[in-house]
Amino acid sequence: MTTLLEVRNLIRTFGALNAVAGVSFSVRQGELVGLIGPNGAGKSTLYNLIAGAIAPTSGEVVFKDRPVGGWKPYQAARAGVARTFQIPKPYRHLSVLENVALSAMLHDRSVAAACESAQAILADVGLADYVDAPVGNLTVGLLKRLEVARALALRPSLVLFDEIMAGLTPSEVKGMTSLVAGLPARGITVIWVEHVLYAIMKTAPRIMVLHRGELIADGAPEVLVKDPAVIKAYLGEETSVA
Amino acid sequence: MDAAPPRAKQRSGRWRLLPERGTVSLFELVLLAVCVALVAAPLPQYLQDVVIQTFLWAGLALAWNIAGGFAGLISFGHAAFFGIGAYTSSILAANYGLTPWIGLWIGGVLSTAFGAVLTLVCARLRGPFFILSTLAAAEVVRIAALNWATLTGGAEGFSILPIASIANMVFESKTTYAALMLGYFLLIYAITKTVEGSRYGYYLFAARDDEEAASAAGVNPLLARTGAMSLSAFLAGIGGSLFAQYFLFLDPTHVISPELSFQFALLPALGGLGTAIGPVLGSFVITPLSEMLRSYFGGAAAGLHLAIYGGVLVVVMLYIPSGIAGALQRLAEHRRKGTP
Amino acid sequence: MTTVGQLVFSGMLIGGIYALMSIGLTLIFGVLRIVNFAHGEFLMIAMYGAWAMTRYLGLNPYYSIVAIVPAMFLFGVVVHRLIVMPALDKPHLVVVFATMGLSILMQNVALMVLSADLQDVPPILGGRSFTFGPFYAKPELLIGFAVAVACTLGLRFMLQATYLGKAIRATVQDGEAAQLMGVPVPRIFLITFAAGSALVGLSACVMMPLFSVFPTVGLNFVLIAFVIVVLGGMGSIEGALLGGICIGIVQSLSSYYIAPAFGQMFFFMLFLLVMIFRPAGLLGRKGEATLGIND
Repeated sequence: MTTLLEVRNLIRTFGALNAVAGVSFSVRQGELVGLIGPNGAGKSTLYNLIAGAIAPTSGEVVFKDRPVGGWKPYQAARAGVARTFQIPKPYRHLSVLENVALSAMLHDRSVAAACESAQAILADVGLADYVDAPVGNLTVGLLKRLEVARALALRPSLVLFDEIMAGLTPSEVKGMTSLVAGLPARGITVIWVEHVLYAIMKTAPRIMVLHRGELIADGAPEVLVKDPAVIKAYLGEETSVA
Repeated sequence: MDAAPPRAKQRSGRWRLLPERGTVSLFELVLLAVCVALVAAPLPQYLQDVVIQTFLWAGLALAWNIAGGFAGLISFGHAAFFGIGAYTSSILAANYGLTPWIGLWIGGVLSTAFGAVLTLVCARLRGPFFILSTLAAAEVVRIAALNWATLTGGAEGFSILPIASIANMVFESKTTYAALMLGYFLLIYAITKTVEGSRYGYYLFAARDDEEAASAAGVNPLLARTGAMSLSAFLAGIGGSLFAQYFLFLDPTHVISPELSFQFALLPALGGLGTAIGPVLGSFVITPLSEMLRSYFGGAAAGLHLAIYGGVLVVVMLYIPSGIAGALQRLAEHRRKGTP
Repeated sequence: MTTVGQLVFSGMLIGGIYALMSIGLTLIFGVLRIVNFAHGEFLMIAMYGAWAMTRYLGLNPYYSIVAIVPAMFLFGVVVHRLIVMPALDKPHLVVVFATMGLSILMQNVALMVLSADLQDVPPILGGRSFTFGPFYAKPELLIGFAVAVACTLGLRFMLQATYLGKAIRATVQDGEAAQLMGVPVPRIFLITFAAGSALVGLSACVMMPLFSVFPTVGLNFVLIAFVIVVLGGMGSIEGALLGGICIGIVQSLSSYYIAPAFGQMFFFMLFLLVMIFRPAGLLGRKGEATLGIND
């Protein structure tokens, strides 16, 4: 399997704060990798660095063997990197369908074709009933699913999920989990930040643990659970693993 | 601010009753018929003037709306584009004998350049910072026009020779002017509807609603914005040239004024920002009203109609932010929900 | 050489007065995150108020401060309640258009009700110039500048040392957190807006001896105020003073060496330059202009 994404010694500082303090890892095509860590560990910053929302202080991100060199988010999207936002950012004046169709328009040049693609994806994530709804009426859980739909509509090679389970009922979590688990088979590589640990521990064959901007563990869930560094990082947090 | 998002399913046949994104509605067809009738009808001269100005302002409001409503680039400086267009074609006609039919395109291009540069220069500015920049830029243009008297005639103004001929784009018959302005208005309306239902239009809406999310979805926000402002400036500039040919007199204090810039924003705001029909409704309501107030109250009306607009704008913005178009949409929805 | 020095000195004085006029605007932006597009018209009615008190009551503008400032405070309360507050929870363009509409309304009501003629107050302090070191200046200018500086210092003291001041600073930094900490943010908004209006009243009284008033005078001054606020950094009081002084000097020098009309144009270009290179202004928080307003 070829390497899709490689992060080399990535550093991002904000003043005196080392948000990302020298992170290196690589993700191969078709992998499903979880990314966990306590609050403030630097996960969102890492996503922003990979997806082009901010530029690194030093280090590099290499996607499909090409260094991305401080690219902009729209360049990342066009290259095949999709991401969701931890706090959903829907287009307030567009309907649910149009929100997703907008992403689909990256590949579908006509509005009609994009809307068709969007319909299919909305059905996938279980939002078929909300197709014409204005986004103002949606709950957080529904908005998170909208985020997932928008990311998938970009037909990405790599998708960065940011806490997509928050606000979902257990059965919805199940549905979303099997959706995510099925993505590698569809040719989509997944990096998945999540706080709902039981979902991610059961599904992701590989998990990375970020703590204070550093990668402190990277391996199979069963191994991680016993890792003293990981346990220490999470001290005080609930880490029930089914 | 859009009216409610389009309903995919409708009870009646293929025709939509009210304007919607991407299709032509009965409302618009009826309005078109009315406009043509207004041009063809043998109206008294002063009413023809009202018709001419209503069509012109419908076009200008639509032009503003592409930047302000679609892209979210609220500008209180559009009079600059208007003025650049007006003065360019008029100066070229007067000094070089260039027919305004060509001159207006050059004016449009200059306005476009100004608009594009302004947007690029203010690329990082949002909200009130951007708005103030448009204000400042328009003032720079006005003061330049005022003081560059050798070129523009300065405060004394610039007269266009009233020699009627097609080549001069000066006409004896007001009906011809009405047709010209109607053509301008319809052209911009067609452009607006096309953009509204196109991929580019959606990219503008997305960049306006949430720039970060749009960028993550593959939209280049700066390019989209610059394109929108450029198109808006271009169309406003052409409107300026047409105005010059009709009014036959230009002076910076009236043509590049903050009051005029306000008018550009007022009409779409009242009619419904971000829709195609909104600016049209705004002009069709406000422009005749202005003329009526002006003729009723004479000199005192200098303040009155603007005072009323100011007050109405405050009320509309606070209580019916989606304007006349939005109110109509909501009415239609109420009625639709009411029928069993 | 002395000419330049004199020009700079006069520019500084008038700049300080411009700054006084702008402090309200920057304070309102810092706390409420809105730009009051009717700011110029607030100045206009306050100036008419000061003029009227001179004309009909024989009170010179400096004494009128006692009446005008509270009156403008009340006016600010009314405008805030009626217009600003309902607009705050809506998309940002609502408050932009609403204050713009208010501006047009006020300008034109003034045009209809009052004469369009320029109105002045008769000279109060003898009309002679004082010598201030190697420079000379009209006493009205010196007084105005002194008031501006005193006001800036007073505001700074109030912000640092009083509970209200701390509450305001907390709201500026993080309105939500402040509210969670028990700061009555809506009341802070009201007080700040009204105070901004009162400050405009103060500056009107100080400006009336120096400028004429007419219904659209607000437009001239509001553009100057915007430039000053942006130059100094939106939300920074000291920035407004600094920005004002810069603008005053630029205007003074360019009016003399180039042409009075171009004086105005120059500081618009200065404004645009600031927007390009340092949108946060001299003393503003970096990134503020690029973040703009959060809806």
